[in-house]
Amino acid sequence: MIRNTSPAKGSAAFLLVIFLLATCASFMALKVKTDTIVRKRVPGSSIIYIPSGKFLRYATFGYSALAADAIYLWAIQYYSTPTIDDRFNYLDHIFAIISDLDPTYTDPYETGALIASAEAGDTGLAFKILDNGAAKNPGQWLFPFEAGHIAMMNLKNYDLAMQYFKKCMDLPGAPDFTKRLYANALYKKGDNETSWQTWLEIYNTAPDERTKKIASNHLYQVKSAMDTGRLKEAVGKFRERYGRFPAELEDLVRSRLLGKLPKDLDGQDYVYDPKSGDVKAATIPWKR
Amino acid sequence: MTDAIRIENLKKSFRLGFIPKMKEILKGISLSVKEGEIFGYLGPNGAGKTTTIKCVLGLIYPDAGTIEIFGQPHGTARARQALGFLPENPYFYDYLTAREFLTFYGDLFGLGRKETGERTGRLLKLVGLERAAGLQLRKFSRGMLQRIGLAQALINDPKLVILDEPLGGLDPLGRKEIRDIIVRFKQEGKTVFFTSHILQDIEMICDHVAIIVGGRVVKQGALQDLVSEKVLFTEMTVSGLPPEAFRGLGESVSAQGGRVLLKILEENRVDDILALVRERKGKVISLSPRTETLEDIFVETVTGT
Amino acid sequence: MKITAIAGITFKEAKRDRILYLLFFFAAVAIITSRVLAILTVGDRVKIIKDVGLASISIFGVLMAVLIGTSLVYKEIDKKTIFTLLSKPLHRAQFILGKFLGLVLTLFVMTVLMSLIFLVLLYFHTFKVEWTMLVAIAYIFLELVLITAVAIFFSSFSTPILSSIFSLAFTLIGHLSWGLELLIKKMRAGAGRSAAQFFYLFLPDLENFNFKTEVVHGLPIPAGIYLYSFLYGIFYTAFILGLTILVFRRRDFI
Repeated sequence: MIRNTSPAKGSAAFLLVIFLLATCASFMALKVKTDTIVRKRVPGSSIIYIPSGKFLRYATFGYSALAADAIYLWAIQYYSTPTIDDRFNYLDHIFAIISDLDPTYTDPYETGALIASAEAGDTGLAFKILDNGAAKNPGQWLFPFEAGHIAMMNLKNYDLAMQYFKKCMDLPGAPDFTKRLYANALYKKGDNETSWQTWLEIYNTAPDERTKKIASNHLYQVKSAMDTGRLKEAVGKFRERYGRFPAELEDLVRSRLLGKLPKDLDGQDYVYDPKSGDVKAATIPWKR
Repeated sequence: MTDAIRIENLKKSFRLGFIPKMKEILKGISLSVKEGEIFGYLGPNGAGKTTTIKCVLGLIYPDAGTIEIFGQPHGTARARQALGFLPENPYFYDYLTAREFLTFYGDLFGLGRKETGERTGRLLKLVGLERAAGLQLRKFSRGMLQRIGLAQALINDPKLVILDEPLGGLDPLGRKEIRDIIVRFKQEGKTVFFTSHILQDIEMICDHVAIIVGGRVVKQGALQDLVSEKVLFTEMTVSGLPPEAFRGLGESVSAQGGRVLLKILEENRVDDILALVRERKGKVISLSPRTETLEDIFVETVTGT
Repeated sequence: MKITAIAGITFKEAKRDRILYLLFFFAAVAIITSRVLAILTVGDRVKIIKDVGLASISIFGVLMAVLIGTSLVYKEIDKKTIFTLLSKPLHRAQFILGKFLGLVLTLFVMTVLMSLIFLVLLYFHTFKVEWTMLVAIAYIFLELVLITAVAIFFSSFSTPILSSIFSLAFTLIGHLSWGLELLIKKMRAGAGRSAAQFFYLFLPDLENFNFKTEVVHGLPIPAGIYLYSFLYGIFYTAFILGLTILVFRRRDFI
């Protein structure tokens, strides 16, 4: 039987489909165009109106971890937009909120500290963030570890570095070289005694040859430092007494300033330059 | 003269229920409505009357078949220009007043302000709702809604008026008024196509009738052709004679208070009984031949199919 | 014109909806409360008023568009008032367009009212008229127009609750377009990425209409974006309306 659709109906539907395709193509093309136009963005600036994280935790109705994820994702995008000049103003606040919402989420602490130290140049804030992370996750070795690195590398504050490494070296999961970092920080700080003790421990408990070698090198280094320090002190006293540098190190023993000449870890003598009065180790520790 | 409506082999199926099972509602309807006549469309509930109307109006798209309105294919908006429609159980924008309501429909037809105003006034008068012109439709009674619906159907002075159960839910007075209005339409030269359950009304005013059962038109034709002049039986009420006198002559004898009611099936028996009554000095109170009514036809058709 | 007749009646019906006034009430409360909040901050007080004001107009405007739009067509079908309407010499497209224009008119009035409260409040705070606010509001209104079209689209075949959910989802997706952009940058070239790129262009980007940040911070707006965003809104709305008409045309009203 003939269908009761007149030709007009068919063509109307056809025209409509053409219309739809045309408008669709148009708006898609327009979107491409609007994407090319750069707009000044300050995305999410209204976040500063959000009150403290504690309140927010309750306000998110049990979805606080999800909220933390969302805010963290947003923060990453926010901080990787270099055109926002004042984006570091609320770095503290934002990462504090993420911490309040999900205290055990490790990544934001790391990232926040990284942004703070590397991009914003605010190591104080980096420590604040990492300390916050450590406080909320006392068993997590990562936070003092990173803090120690910042202290070592950026600030060259070996005392602080030592404190951080000490904190984390005994925590479960900490890499085994953490103790070595601690020992090295002690050395750099100048506490040779404790450094020596620690390196000795490391040497004695070394699980493989490599570690033993490293420990041995460091022990050499520390001993050299201690010995050359004593020797230099004696040389200085000699100079005070006799007005000149000793001709050779034996002179120090002969003049009873030293009991016995110390030898380095390999049993070698220390090298003495009578002209400058400088004492140093015969070997470079790493080339042993 | 072209037919006002011409339907040929109209078919429509619907997908009903959650599991899409096709149910064929219209199985090939064919009918034609001549211009200027009153056409009655009958059928039991669910036969497909409203579906047919909705197909004609373009509210439903047929699966197969053709529909022409005054010779034009029914699908276009233009075909509906000369149409007026009153649905069953009409619902309208109940926050509008009667006048605003009719004015809106006038605007829809593109009538000018003045013309719309005139027609609105005239139609309100026609359906007897002058006094309710400023009343919101939500406050209308069922009968009033029916009447304003009728007014709305006439706003464009249509050549063809389609009414779905226009007499439903009205009291006898209301029904008479609507019947009179429909007859007046015919006098004005309009064509009326309506469905109804109330067979007496159809019998009273229709020229042509179609009976639809189970999606098919099973009987169609001029009312007078369908309803034969054949006498089914004759009823006679007699007094003064006991019922036993008629045993063997009339059927279904019943007696009450001195009167005997006879139902005489065979026509030739009537004279015999009249003679008997005269002989026995009885009195004939009434004598009425009962011809076939539309109801008889309807019941017979529906139960037969 | 038939479309204007339907638009008029739609406007009449929409403005009777109590939801409209309820939402307007809350918008007004939000805008006025921002004045109170402003007292609590340190620093630039006006910023909060501007932020809250524009955000309120936007959020409550969207809610109005969605809540009223989604019931608009559905009610007609459900209450069967549509039968007498569509049996008139009316194209179904005219019906849809009339409903759309009626609702747009309603939203226009509500936006103007909300903006008035906002601008008056702002004026009393800063004692100067900031015309840039009107730019932001104008584009908020364009966004509302698009969302209205979407609401009507869903309303033509779905129940109000589902339609509302879909429409709100559309709005949400529209504001997260940048997320898809980020994702695409990280994807490797291939079928997946091409598909994602297509969706990126096809799905709405409502941020094109968002000038709130620039206006509040006093940042410059590049001239080109006015025209392109406007056209984007027009074409997308036309697309949605076309889609609605396509779906609505061949529908059977049982």
